[in-house]
Amino acid sequence: MAKKFLSLALILTLLLAAFASFPVAAQDRWDGADDLPVNPLDCPMAEGAEMAATEEAEGEMMMPEYDGGEPVDAPDLAGQDITLVDVPKLIGVGYFAATTQGMQEAAEELGNVSVTTDGPTEANIDDQIAVIDNYITQGVNGILFAANDPVAIAPVLTRALESGIRVVGYDANSTPDARQWFVNQAAFEGVAKSLVDNMAEQIGVDGSFAIVTSTFTTPNQARWIAEMQAYQEKCYPEMTWLETVEAQEDNILSFNQATTLINKYGPDMDGIFGMTSIATPAAAEAVTQAAVCPLASSEGAAASEDDAVVVVGLATPNAMKPYVETQCVERVVLWNPVDLGYAAVYVMRRTIDGEFLPGATEVDAGRLGMLPVVNNSEVLLGPPFVFTAENINDFDF
Amino acid sequence: MTTLPETKVLDDAPSLRDRLGSALFRQEGVLILIGIIALVVLAFGSENFLTVDNLLNQTRFLAEIGLIALPMTYIIITGGIDLSVGAIVGVSAIMLGVSWQNWGLPLELAIVVCILTGVLAGFVNGLFIVRVGVPPLIMTLATLAFYRGLAEGISESRSVRGYPDWFEQLGQGNFLGLPTQLWVLIVFAIVFAIVLARTTFGRSLYAIGNNELGARFSGIPVGRNKIIIYSLSGLMAGIAAWIFVSRTTTTRSDYGSGWELDVIAAVVLGGTSIFGGTGTIIGTMLGIVLIQILKNGLALTGVTSDATIVVIGSVLILSILINNYAGSLFGALTRRLRQTQQNT
Repeated sequence: MAKKFLSLALILTLLLAAFASFPVAAQDRWDGADDLPVNPLDCPMAEGAEMAATEEAEGEMMMPEYDGGEPVDAPDLAGQDITLVDVPKLIGVGYFAATTQGMQEAAEELGNVSVTTDGPTEANIDDQIAVIDNYITQGVNGILFAANDPVAIAPVLTRALESGIRVVGYDANSTPDARQWFVNQAAFEGVAKSLVDNMAEQIGVDGSFAIVTSTFTTPNQARWIAEMQAYQEKCYPEMTWLETVEAQEDNILSFNQATTLINKYGPDMDGIFGMTSIATPAAAEAVTQAAVCPLASSEGAAASEDDAVVVVGLATPNAMKPYVETQCVERVVLWNPVDLGYAAVYVMRRTIDGEFLPGATEVDAGRLGMLPVVNNSEVLLGPPFVFTAENINDFDF
Repeated sequence: MTTLPETKVLDDAPSLRDRLGSALFRQEGVLILIGIIALVVLAFGSENFLTVDNLLNQTRFLAEIGLIALPMTYIIITGGIDLSVGAIVGVSAIMLGVSWQNWGLPLELAIVVCILTGVLAGFVNGLFIVRVGVPPLIMTLATLAFYRGLAEGISESRSVRGYPDWFEQLGQGNFLGLPTQLWVLIVFAIVFAIVLARTTFGRSLYAIGNNELGARFSGIPVGRNKIIIYSLSGLMAGIAAWIFVSRTTTTRSDYGSGWELDVIAAVVLGGTSIFGGTGTIIGTMLGIVLIQILKNGLALTGVTSDATIVVIGSVLILSILINNYAGSLFGALTRRLRQTQQNT
């Protein structure tokens, strides 16, 4: 028995050793984990970066070749009351509560749209497919979705199109031919530009920074970092990229990684990027506890110019409010999910009314004005939204 | 020794009438009753519910869980449990994608790799449980994390896409008018039911569940049979992974997460005692069907998915309560009946 146990334990150790050597080595070139080419935007001009971003987006749109899908024998519901269902990645989280709020605002404004939000309680593609499938059987006029997986969701969306149901995505895309339009909250290159620009404004064009991300291969984060690298090399060649560390989407690990960075580089590090809505507040907490806030509040003196560490990152406002209030963090980059949900309903309404057809270059989205079409069948919400002390309290998600 | 009693019946063989009566009061009867009530109520709730199209479409959603529930019934009958099935689905699916796309194997061979991965994963579970004596709960809880980690590590969290059309037939196509995967489920369910009810191997599982030491002394190869059923569990998880990848046309490392709970819920709803010793394949299949009817029917009548979970949880508790109450009531009735017969 003991002998057997010993040999089994040995096998197990060998297995573990084999898998402990997974490729986690730091990468020199960020490939975005998907081998797509990077596409850095123009550097900020004197007049302001936001104009450039919109112009760039529109500039790309010379010849939009629509690559979305088309519903089969869809009834003509132009101007009539329609029933929509919204299936987000999951329900019960602040982010998708905000998109739902935007949808209800749009529905109220339009007056002839009713939207119900229903989705899985965990961000699980399997459950999401079942929810959508049931609504197809039940019969709705349109489906709005935020996909948990772009490919896995495609068969059920195709089934919706085949049943004459209109399909519009937002937040997380599917393969293009499985839906009609996708409302893109922020292009990857736009987010990268906004992050790097905001960092450069605070630490100077020759500053040095580190990044705390989820994992090197998480699709969105990897793509953002790839775009950030390309954009920084193009526009801020003097900046120093110290290190990129993984912290899963784990609060404590993110905090520990940020603290390690602060201790390791000391005055040599000027800024930290947080790439997830977990990493950014954790980095802000680490900076606060290490007393290296660039602009200290009433309590405690400001850290000297040399020691100060600026945090810029992607995060939801609620998580960042404490740090913005103490002025430890000045800017948080994200998009406005209320506008995102709002735009999705408008795009659906315009599509059903026949006012937004394949080949169009822009769409009228109510209070958001005309939104440009990018990437053949995507509607771009606009440049990312920067939360600051002035506006962060207007949001609750 | 080939015919071991299924339940602890002390008297002579029960008459046909007794059997019919006990069957009605057993879990299967309760489930059929709840199922019929659910069908009627839900049919009134939504006109789209009780249609051939909808019901056939639903079988696509239950096939994978159903396949894994078959060996899970065996395992729970022996008093064991397998929490790692969802993770095995994940690692098998990843092996399918990785061996096809990264290693360049033909897709046919990649399917074999997928299923073999499942078998191996199940075999390792069985080996440790039997040879090292790790309790099944602990062992499969550990491999739940271990296999999921493997899936994430091997795939580097990247998904594999772009499967050819023929591959997607299993998950999305039809065969003789029924969804392809329904045929797979039906065939396996029949085989598993016959093996459990009519073979020495099947009967030995009840013996192990009722009294493992006794079974061992009766000459039943307890260890071997346990390794077989855990390997079977891996095998079916591998096949389920294949079907799931075919249905969703992509491979992700988080595939199958949380399935172990759906599977165990269906098996227990089907009347298999979590303490071992009793249970049938028919019961498990009824459990699977009932849960899917409720999920689908409630959604169609406009109940949101969070409320649906609450209803399913309540039905699970209710049916087990009814079963226990009705079971003891029926037991008391027959005993009294027998006594009066003996007295006269």
